[in-house]
Amino acid sequence: MFILKLAWKNLWRNRIRSAITMAAIFFAVLLSVLTSSLKNGIFDNLINNLVSLYSGYIQIHKKGYWDDQLLDNALQTSASTEKKALSNTNVANISARLESFALASTGEITKGCRVIGINPPEENKITLLSSKLVQGKYLGKNDNGILVAEGFLKRVKLHINDTLILLGQGYHGSTAAGKYPIKGVIHFGLADLNDNLIYMPLLLAQDMYGAQNMATGYALSLRRVNELELTAKSIRSALGDEFEVMTWKDMMPDIKQHISTDTQSMLVVQAILYLLISFGIFGTLLMMMAERKYELGMLVAIGMKKSRLAWLLLLESVMTVLLGCIAGIASSIPVVYYFNRYPIRITGDMAKAYEQFGFEAIFPTSLSPSNFISQGFIVLLIGLTLSLYPVYTVWKLNPVEAMKK
Amino acid sequence: MRTVIAIILSIVAFNCQAQNATEIVRKMDDKMRGKSSQAELAIKTVRPNWSREMLVKTWMKEGHYAMILIQAPAKEKGIVYLKRKKEVWNWIPALERSIKLPPSMMTNSWMGTDFTNDDLVKESSAVDDYNHKIIKDTFIDKRDCYIIEFLPKTNTAVVWGKILVAIDKKDFIELYSEFYDEEGKLINVMIAHDIRMMDGRLIPTHIEMIPVDKKGQKTEIFYKTILFNRNIEDNFFTMERMKQLN
Amino acid sequence: MILKISWRNIWRNKMRSLVIMLSVAIGLFAGIMVLAIYKGMMRSRIKTVIYAEAGHLQIHDTSFKKDYEPIFTIRRGTSIANEIQGYPEIKTVATRSVTMGMLSTTTGSAGIQINGVIPEKEMLVSQLDQKIREGTGFTVNKHHEVLIGKKLANKLKLKTGNKLVLTCTDVSNNIISSAFRVAAIYESDNAPLDEKNVYIRQAELNEMIGTGNEIHEIVIILNKDEALGAAEKKLRDQYKGCLIENWKTISPETDLMVDTVDITSYIIMAIILFALAFGIINTMLMGILERTKEIGMMMALGMNRAKLFILILMETLFLTITGAPVGLLLGWAVTSYYKTHGINWSNKGKEMMSSFGFNTTIYPEFPDEKLAMTILFVVLTAMISCIYPAIKALKLKPVDALRK
Repeated sequence: MFILKLAWKNLWRNRIRSAITMAAIFFAVLLSVLTSSLKNGIFDNLINNLVSLYSGYIQIHKKGYWDDQLLDNALQTSASTEKKALSNTNVANISARLESFALASTGEITKGCRVIGINPPEENKITLLSSKLVQGKYLGKNDNGILVAEGFLKRVKLHINDTLILLGQGYHGSTAAGKYPIKGVIHFGLADLNDNLIYMPLLLAQDMYGAQNMATGYALSLRRVNELELTAKSIRSALGDEFEVMTWKDMMPDIKQHISTDTQSMLVVQAILYLLISFGIFGTLLMMMAERKYELGMLVAIGMKKSRLAWLLLLESVMTVLLGCIAGIASSIPVVYYFNRYPIRITGDMAKAYEQFGFEAIFPTSLSPSNFISQGFIVLLIGLTLSLYPVYTVWKLNPVEAMKK
Repeated sequence: MRTVIAIILSIVAFNCQAQNATEIVRKMDDKMRGKSSQAELAIKTVRPNWSREMLVKTWMKEGHYAMILIQAPAKEKGIVYLKRKKEVWNWIPALERSIKLPPSMMTNSWMGTDFTNDDLVKESSAVDDYNHKIIKDTFIDKRDCYIIEFLPKTNTAVVWGKILVAIDKKDFIELYSEFYDEEGKLINVMIAHDIRMMDGRLIPTHIEMIPVDKKGQKTEIFYKTILFNRNIEDNFFTMERMKQLN
Repeated sequence: MILKISWRNIWRNKMRSLVIMLSVAIGLFAGIMVLAIYKGMMRSRIKTVIYAEAGHLQIHDTSFKKDYEPIFTIRRGTSIANEIQGYPEIKTVATRSVTMGMLSTTTGSAGIQINGVIPEKEMLVSQLDQKIREGTGFTVNKHHEVLIGKKLANKLKLKTGNKLVLTCTDVSNNIISSAFRVAAIYESDNAPLDEKNVYIRQAELNEMIGTGNEIHEIVIILNKDEALGAAEKKLRDQYKGCLIENWKTISPETDLMVDTVDITSYIIMAIILFALAFGIINTMLMGILERTKEIGMMMALGMNRAKLFILILMETLFLTITGAPVGLLLGWAVTSYYKTHGINWSNKGKEMMSSFGFNTTIYPEFPDEKLAMTILFVVLTAMISCIYPAIKALKLKPVDALRK
């Protein structure tokens, strides 16, 4: 108890020195939290952008649909399935889709396209479809018109308010055909989507394909994206064997591959940051000990046991590190929050790829608490390990040498 | 010297036999196709969980031209497919439009059956694309048959490795066929039933096409009426006529 | 005079000097490592996209990409390919005929893109031969051979040696079919592409679609990645009637990922420099704190503030100059070691990843072109970070400083 008090007093005795050491820890925490939350935030944002293009975070299909994407492998839409999925607290929205291939014809020109029947308001919550509208109006639930992607419209040489004929194969081999007015034009940054997609209200699509109350799948959006696998697993077990529950990672393995290599590389970069941080803290401790050599030598000379002194110094360091860590985490919260609300914005050449996809070139931080906790913990560990250095110095201390100046 | 003669004789005999087999296949082919035909038939698609029946009317001429009119079910009534050489046109009365099927649609199943659109267009010929050989005789439903082996000629666009066809010796009816892939695995089986006299020809009026490793799946064709070699003008197979069929 | 004092000061307190020197060294090392890792990532990613898929540049007819109709061949395509083969910045040129079609087997069919290639050339631009997992690839004197992707092969249950039929339309829109034999099954890192693309000999595809000696696609590999912009512009000026695209346009998702990592690494670089600056500020500040008495003495003895400021600056400069080569050397040594050996983050992770066919080992590359900039940044950071401690020192009152 006495030592604790002494250590505390020592901290206050040389305030500037303590402040500098604490600041070293403080900045270490701040910077590593910032790095980690930026790194995670940037990739989360990228994934969010990519899944919002089309797929959603998780999709539910009838078992076997993904390998054989036929209308005949569609599932029966049911309130109970939706309820089961939504009962997972992490699922924010769920929207049924009926996707199939069709021929779109103007009479002279006939091209293949991908038709997606959607539940307009629900779909909008997941893929922000209405924000991709460049002309005309978004769909209503009972509309009888369609939205056509800009590139496809050019391929068939039509304009908004023209009528497009769709012809395809319906459910269980029936013929799907219909005439639909083009209500709106949407733009996708990705040529693959922009040149092929047609959206129509789910009811209309079900009617055209002769698939009443059917959907090829549900797209889901999540509240906490880092619980992706866990959520998928729990939905999988809630729904049972009849369904397949797939995450974006299953559906877009190439993107997953890119991201996983990038995260790995970023870990190495982060390790380098830790190295730098450790060295900064170590430098400060080294200087502190050099400065206090005389004082410590004196203490040993007047009879203080080395073990006690070591305890004293250890406690001092632990207090400094702890205080620095706490201050660091506390002040990193507003900083990270700020960069989340007002993310780093890149323009010009650097952001070309983002613009091509139609994404905003913003680089936000992640607000996930795990960044604060894990980074705070890592720096704390580094700090505590380095606190052993003063202990080591005391152990080696030769009072006569130390007091000679 | 004797052996030489024996060899020559056997070669001649073999050639005769080969020609004989091809001749049998040609007769079989003529029998079902004729120069032209008009038929009413039902096509039944059977799947593990559902089945569906269509009534169609067909007009065919010389393998190049065909017209198919759907008469039932109600939703599809009036839909017409027109094949001219290698093009397929589709008329949909509800939309009052005719659409030429692009190549990208060719892999799709035709009207949900086990046939693809490509099967309508393909002119792979039982006579010209294969080498034929009689391998044995057998009896099917008390009919005396040849079993003829079809081996595709090199570089013909045929997916099969081998087809075994049982052809009635007297009436040249294709009674039973087995379709093998190149590794000798049986893929499809075709069975002919209900052999009846139609328009002066003895033909099978019920044909079943069964994919072997797809359980509970098959396509059946029932001929209701068929007329052979009635004169159909070339200009019957035009888009104008396609629209007026109903 | 000041130079001398500052030089001596450095050696007087070796410990402190060593710490600052090492800070600079480690800062530079960190900077180099980050850039090296980033460059390595760029390279490996670009390698897969450029050297295994898209090439640096592709030339098409302006209308071709809209619907992949066989009629849209590149005008004078073969002679363009021959012309540009002679350009000094261009390493390899390959031509392809491309059309959309379908592949059918006894059990099923699939829509695919048929690529008519010249095997020897294709090998050089997309390393098709190295992606082969089963079979031997095109054999001289054999005809109607096709290479298909592994995913497609699994889907349609195809093995090498199997026969399949390719169907497509020719220039006059007639449907043409022809039988091919699977000569090999290939697999790349990009499974969706494998499922869509099959390769046959160019002459055979041209015969099917009736394009004679015409081609649809020219793929170009440059000698250096850096020459992309210039080469693209040169080709654009030269061949106005053609669509000339670089790999970024052809594979926008790769470009997106490269871009993201690019920007992220710059941001992290800034943070690392900040951490470095903070380390130096701290150490220098401690150093000045420690030397209060000495500084007070010097001021009392009449050293003016400007000189004192320069003294501290000089000290830092010396320390930086000594520290920098150490960091440089260390960075160089580490990157060249890992360039060949690769950084493997975790063995467990790797096993899991490689089962998906992913390559997670990072091969850093020494960022020679950004070296000068990095050194400049680190030295500048060191200099700027010593300003605050120097100012702090200047604010000392000689009397207060001496009293202690």
